[in-house]
Amino acid sequence: MKKLSTLILHNLNKAKGQYISFGVFICLTAFIINIALVLTFQTFDAYDDLFDELDTADVNFIIPQIQDNDNLLTEVEEIDGVSFVEKHGGVFTPVTVREFAGSDFDMNTVFYNIDEERKLNLLDVTERSEKNGDSAYIPMYMKELGGFMEGGSITYSIDGKDHTYHIGGIVLEMQYGNYGTGLIGGYFPKEVYEEFADEYSNHAVTEYSIKTTENADLSEMKNVISEMIKEKRITLLSINDRAVSKQTRTMVCTLLIVIFLAIAAIILVVSIFLSNFRIRSAIEDELAQMGVLKAIGYTSNMIIAATVMPYVFVGIIATVIGIAVSYAVLPFVAGILAIQSGFSYTPAFDIMAMLIVVLILTLAILLFSYISARKIHRLEPVNAIRGVVGKEAAGQNILLFIVAFGIMVLLSFAGTLLYNVNIKPDNFMNTLSEELPSVIFTTEDEKMAELKEILQKDSRVKLFMEYASVPVSYTDGSLTAFVCEDFSKVTNDICYEGSSPAKDNEIAVGNALADDYPIGNEIEITVGSQSEDYIVTGYIQSVNNAGAVCQLTSKGYEKIGEKTDSVNVYLYDKNADEFIKEYEENYDTVVKSSVNFEQMSENGQMMYTGIVSVIVIILFVISVLMVLLVMYVIINSMISRRRQEFGIYKAIGYTNRQLTVKTAFGFIPVVAAASVISAIAGLWYLPGIDNVIFSLIGAVKNQFEVSGWILIVFAVMFTAVAFGISVLLSAPIKKITAYSLLKD
Amino acid sequence: MNKQIVISAKHLKKAFGKGESIQVIYSDLNIDIYKEDFTVIMGSSGAGKSTLMYSLSGMDKPDGGEINFDGMDITKLNNDKLAVFRRKECGFVFQQIYLIDKMSLMDNVITAGVLTSKDREDIKNRAEELFSLVNIPEKTWRKTSAQISGGEAQRAGIVRAVINNPNVLFADEPTGALNSANSAAVLDVFTSLHGKGQSIVMVTHDKKSALRGNRIIYIKDGKIFGECDLGKFEQDNIERTEKLDKFIKEMGW
Repeated sequence: MKKLSTLILHNLNKAKGQYISFGVFICLTAFIINIALVLTFQTFDAYDDLFDELDTADVNFIIPQIQDNDNLLTEVEEIDGVSFVEKHGGVFTPVTVREFAGSDFDMNTVFYNIDEERKLNLLDVTERSEKNGDSAYIPMYMKELGGFMEGGSITYSIDGKDHTYHIGGIVLEMQYGNYGTGLIGGYFPKEVYEEFADEYSNHAVTEYSIKTTENADLSEMKNVISEMIKEKRITLLSINDRAVSKQTRTMVCTLLIVIFLAIAAIILVVSIFLSNFRIRSAIEDELAQMGVLKAIGYTSNMIIAATVMPYVFVGIIATVIGIAVSYAVLPFVAGILAIQSGFSYTPAFDIMAMLIVVLILTLAILLFSYISARKIHRLEPVNAIRGVVGKEAAGQNILLFIVAFGIMVLLSFAGTLLYNVNIKPDNFMNTLSEELPSVIFTTEDEKMAELKEILQKDSRVKLFMEYASVPVSYTDGSLTAFVCEDFSKVTNDICYEGSSPAKDNEIAVGNALADDYPIGNEIEITVGSQSEDYIVTGYIQSVNNAGAVCQLTSKGYEKIGEKTDSVNVYLYDKNADEFIKEYEENYDTVVKSSVNFEQMSENGQMMYTGIVSVIVIILFVISVLMVLLVMYVIINSMISRRRQEFGIYKAIGYTNRQLTVKTAFGFIPVVAAASVISAIAGLWYLPGIDNVIFSLIGAVKNQFEVSGWILIVFAVMFTAVAFGISVLLSAPIKKITAYSLLKD
Repeated sequence: MNKQIVISAKHLKKAFGKGESIQVIYSDLNIDIYKEDFTVIMGSSGAGKSTLMYSLSGMDKPDGGEINFDGMDITKLNNDKLAVFRRKECGFVFQQIYLIDKMSLMDNVITAGVLTSKDREDIKNRAEELFSLVNIPEKTWRKTSAQISGGEAQRAGIVRAVINNPNVLFADEPTGALNSANSAAVLDVFTSLHGKGQSIVMVTHDKKSALRGNRIIYIKDGKIFGECDLGKFEQDNIERTEKLDKFIKEMGW
């Protein structure tokens, strides 16, 4: 290596710009991969650490307190794999949280006494208000997403009665700290809790928190518990385990990791093509010099090493810089994740992630630059000096095509995200949720017909239907049932296989149940003490409930439960607020309560729009940077190779402007062809990419539209940007003079 | 006094192309190069002068025959061993000079020097001596080839060629790209090196360059067509000049 140091330094020095552009690519790749790896290594571990720190139970189930008895505790303790069981008293009830991110939000909530001594499911009050009094403690999820703060207030509305509490603090806990599981926690100090529990004694529940032995099968244990509960004719209000909770709370993290890795892969491929192009150009440009090096005694391997090592050195330095910079951004990324996950942690330096990034990138650079440089082996010194080696095209157009195609893939993905989140947000929200009405009205059973008649006559109403989300249970636990009078009327078809139920003995089940309940089989659904078998007609998706959902017709549900009392109202215009006010004033005897779902959707959309916007901005910046760097390498290499030609053009009277534009235009056919082909191909590949990414978070059937127009507009914009950048980068042509040609 | 053979080539064959377009350069060429000689290879364009020189120096492989270089048959060596052989035994000066561009003259020399010596300081010291020998002032050592004249660049090329004390210094038309003043300066360096005992093989079609040699070999039709012993170079020695004129005239120049 010492022998090669002069040569390596010389190579580095003579093409600084090229190595810097290559370094920027690698830096970007390392930056993104390191973020993805640190998130992979630390988010899930942080979750597990917090889980252990708070002695969280591996399985929790909730039953009505009235149905609980001492025998059940003994029997649960005797289940194979159970190491410890602790019971907690609580109040389980659907509530409407007022002003959750600016709107009312219905949530199934389980309230606990925060002062109760516990060995399992410990509650960590991370932020505490100095003020005392009627306090409620809320999960971090409510703070991050709902916008509540310690010291502020929160209003829970139960059965139409509002309870307002001062927020005493933010609670970190690992079981009911995210509504993705369909159940959120709420906590009161002893006295407040006792008063609350007295008022809602009919909603009193017992939570069984179970710690399992190390290798216990959580899914199997949930089945055993469900069977036992069913045999005893006890209502299972909720059952969950650590794996499902973890999956739900780390959903966005998983999504980000996949997107980051995909971006990093594209940039890495471009970097490799870039280094390949640069090395091949260098071999061609410096053929004679390589011949001289061979003549004076350098072996092929030494010359290859001197060619490859600058890339490796630059790659390692750029990788380390990329990793270092990523740590400045990671707390921000972790903050975004906390909005959805409901728990926060500070990403720490991760030596393993660093080693993996350095190793992967170094090996990739070493391997691919060696492959590009190995033709030096075949270089005969005499032929090289005489310049009789057959010159191969350095693959400029191929590189440009591949890079333009790759960048257009990124832009198409970003454009599709932007289109479906900003321009047609319903597509995005429909992918992540179920029905998106403008307003939800609840009414008394006997007033339903009257309400429907009023809605029928209202010209602002586009559509209305009886639709409700109700808790039901099945053998393995609880489900959220979407009950609708007619599923052919729904605006968001979440059925991804088979069909939604049409008859009262039919059911469509969520993706979490798909493996166990094939279409055509029966599933027993229970509400309270009533059970009924339904035939599975199809599978539906649900991101928020981790697939533990089902669809029942209103008539089908009424076989086991009471008639639902809510109506989804879809308006032509976005004026739900005004609409609700008018109905509450004019039809107060008909409308029992109302939810501005339009506002709620917008709030939910806001959270995801924030995350998606960050991704889209990152993709745009990366794309422009990639165009800039690739064009720099190509144009720089081209100007250097065609120096003489430009000198001749100038000698015969071409102006700088003519040559610059002529050069920039030279790239346009390839860039335009690649971007248009990529855009057209995007119509085919983008749904596939979207499907893969969204299926990771449970959205098996995503509602994304791929807009051909958006892709074409992006392709045209991309070509225009590439042209503009080419014109700017071609500026050094000005420095070439006809006189310098003679001097050369 | 018997001269010591440093290179002995027997039955050399070399051709370019294949089939009908084959061009035979030489089919059975034999030549000996002597130690401390300044051998000049002359001949018409396309006669195979450079091809022969590059074969003798292990830069190019002949199609047949053997080349014994100081006791070693270099035709048997693979490419890497040939590279190692060249760095120890040969120095090269090219018509187009071929200094590594954007690299200083000193670094150009060091790049060659580090191949045989681990002591960078030692290489630098020797490079400085050689730069002085070829009249390149210190202020020029850190300049690149683009910043100096062709003559200076070629003299730096010679320093690079001799930094490893080569057994034989090969030069292919070393003054071909230079004006007469620069050519004379470069040739003076060759004469000076020869005076210090350096074996040199030079290909040229320039009479003034050829006069610097003591042994002239003329190649024609792929064979050694003639040979002339000019004796030691002396400036303005008319007798030597006439002898060379006569020789090349006989050869059909």
